[in-house]
Amino acid sequence: MRSVRLTVLLAGLLAAPVGASAQTLTIASKADIRGTNPGVNRDGETDAVAFHMVEGLVAYQEGGTVGPMLAEAVELSSDGRTYTFRLRKGVKFHNGAEMTSADVLWSWNRYMDPKTDWRCRSEFDGRSGIKVEAVEAPDPHTVTMRIDRPQSLFLDSLARPDCGMTGILHRDSVNPDGSWKAPVGTGPFRFGEWRRGQSVTLLRFDDYAALPGKPDGLTGGKRPLVREVRFLVVPDPSTVKAGLQSGSLDAAEVPDSDLAELSKDSRVKLHIGSTAARHAVLFQTTDPLFKSAKMRQAIAAALDVNEIVAIASDGRAKANGSTINMRSPYYSAVQARGAKHDPALARKLLAEAGYKGERIRITTNNRKSVPSFNIAVVIQAMLQNVGVAADLEVVEWATHMDRFLKGNYQVMVHSYSSRLDPALSFEHFMGPKDKQPRKVWDDPEAQALLEKATAISDAEERQKIFDRLHERMLDDMPLLILFNPIDAWATTRRVEGFTPWEGSARAWETSVRP
Amino acid sequence: MLRFALNRIAMAVPTLLIMAVSVFALIRLIPGDPASLMLGDLADPVSLSDLRARLGLDRSLPEQFAIWFGNVLAGDLGRSITSNQPVLALVLERFSVSAQIVVAAVLFASLVAVPAGMVAAWRQNGPLDVAVVALSTLLLSIPTFWLGLLLLLLFGLKLGWLPVVGYVSFGEDPWRALLYIVLPVATLFLHEIGVLVRMARASTLEVLRLDYITHARAKGLSEGAVLWRHAFRNAFGPTWTLIGLVLGNLLGGIAVVETVFTIPGLGRLLVDAIFARDYPVIQGCLLFVAFTYVMVNLVVDLLYPVFDPRVALE
Repeated sequence: MRSVRLTVLLAGLLAAPVGASAQTLTIASKADIRGTNPGVNRDGETDAVAFHMVEGLVAYQEGGTVGPMLAEAVELSSDGRTYTFRLRKGVKFHNGAEMTSADVLWSWNRYMDPKTDWRCRSEFDGRSGIKVEAVEAPDPHTVTMRIDRPQSLFLDSLARPDCGMTGILHRDSVNPDGSWKAPVGTGPFRFGEWRRGQSVTLLRFDDYAALPGKPDGLTGGKRPLVREVRFLVVPDPSTVKAGLQSGSLDAAEVPDSDLAELSKDSRVKLHIGSTAARHAVLFQTTDPLFKSAKMRQAIAAALDVNEIVAIASDGRAKANGSTINMRSPYYSAVQARGAKHDPALARKLLAEAGYKGERIRITTNNRKSVPSFNIAVVIQAMLQNVGVAADLEVVEWATHMDRFLKGNYQVMVHSYSSRLDPALSFEHFMGPKDKQPRKVWDDPEAQALLEKATAISDAEERQKIFDRLHERMLDDMPLLILFNPIDAWATTRRVEGFTPWEGSARAWETSVRP
Repeated sequence: MLRFALNRIAMAVPTLLIMAVSVFALIRLIPGDPASLMLGDLADPVSLSDLRARLGLDRSLPEQFAIWFGNVLAGDLGRSITSNQPVLALVLERFSVSAQIVVAAVLFASLVAVPAGMVAAWRQNGPLDVAVVALSTLLLSIPTFWLGLLLLLLFGLKLGWLPVVGYVSFGEDPWRALLYIVLPVATLFLHEIGVLVRMARASTLEVLRLDYITHARAKGLSEGAVLWRHAFRNAFGPTWTLIGLVLGNLLGGIAVVETVFTIPGLGRLLVDAIFARDYPVIQGCLLFVAFTYVMVNLVVDLLYPVFDPRVALE
């Protein structure tokens, strides 16, 4: 009898558990957010929460192109330097105020103020990229931005999630002294509560002005169908799995290693896609051994990329030797070409490169969320088959990043984050090594091609440039791109409409059955 | 007693100073800095340089240390680089979460382990002794993360009796808070019992061999009186010291248990700070942990004469 009473008591206490309400969507987050100030103190987890609350003039669409968000339309002047944004009418902020061009101007000036510490300020003030010369609001629903030279990536830069999407904020987001308070944006959810180290709760914005249609990247249909979204910090993957299976969590990103088990579990549904991130093998072209293109080509020929990808992704990903992701409109037949596995050719090239049996060092990391370590182990074995002795140097993530940024490696298994425009994707690893040691491909002719691609807007001309760059990259082999990682999420059966994007949850257009 | 306590605190000051210098230097010897981690692989030289200047990382190391240590002496442990929160407030908040789990676990473990160890020693080599030793060895051998996961899967997932993820503080809802800390407390309790039982048993065995115990039995006292009135106070001393060491050690962070049970405690704060190279938080956490360790062991030493009057505070 006592045990029955205890069970009833416990059941009663658990009657209002985490995530059980049909109006709350509980999403697992690997780490706590860093802040609520978009584009200031951020990381991937922080951006994933921010883009539920704030929106910019433009946003990334599904294939990696940029489309209108708070702007209804964007016009470009004939000289390619003046962008005119026609703002949507009737869009409200979370405090009920209607968005006008004055808010856009205020937000922009705030971002460009050094005191704000916006991480993307140098992209727009001429120090790293273009310079925005003037921003004007000729009427309440029009904003113009003039840049110092034509640049096809200007809208991409505005849309970048790590820049906070250059989100348009109301001035109630800051205190009277200008210090940050909380985001008052136009997104489908508004800021609710942040319990540091534990969770962030967002509340439905009932007056959200949704665009018609389905979700399309960070734009498109974004109706908030649940009353509350709770991002709960759950760092351990085993606890995440238990949370999904018990129903305490509604949605979570899951590691590849759990997919086989979860696919057989009737309590959860899997959502598997791919991202524009890239796993790659980098060669340090200033290293005495790897400054020879033949040596790099030899290593590439020694590797069976399809097998590496199958092992690293449990058979779920496809090899992609291009820096352009397969969902991009720029992914052409040329981009589909990759390095060929040919051990005999590898041995021939090794001899031509003058390889005398030196041991090579492959640097990788032990971060659980990427398969870098597994990839390195497979590469080591494949190199052994062609007579190349390799040692693995496994370091933790911060040390790996330090080595990467300083170019302090011989061969490195590295993961690049997503960059959706091909020019940005190439720029990620192309550039002068003396100024930026993190760059992998230092080729002035290729650099000139890339600069042309960033200046022009014509898609066909850009495609030709990207195809030439890809072919040149395969010839020179400064790095060997392997594949785009899969993006695996699991939800409980009562969750409907959930579609992740680029490794992040999208809580809009998602409902939870009671 | 007051003079003893003040002497011990004074002796801790050089320890804490050496600790501060060592932690400051060692963490900066590890490759990577918070600026490069915050910007990631999109770090261009201009943004990196801006951020390093804002974080004060462009100053020389002696200058950085002087600024930080000067603030510490004024009671300011600085601000977290990742969250911009005051480090002292952050550390105290997280410590209070860890402390409630650790204190509860060690208290329950002591209440069970000491009698169990003493009874096992009293019945040395008998079935009860063998069972206690075997069980304590088993519990000691199981890694805490695995034990925690097993408990989580059994009581959280299989039986559905206890929550699997999340945390509620006592201030918010005491009853629900109890449910959330049962499993982490049980995990630590089971592990520490193994440690404490063995010490209690060993010290009791030593005391039971002494002449005065033989004398007590010869006087005709019952075994209960011999054990609890005569043997206990002398046998408990070493176990009491061990309890202090265990408490001090665990209060420094139970990162693995906190990770498995999603508890926002001090251990997770420190581990996350190390991975993020959040220097002020790492330095603040470790200084706080060292200070706590000193204080806990001071209290243990001050209470020692209560159990063993032969020991005088000098």
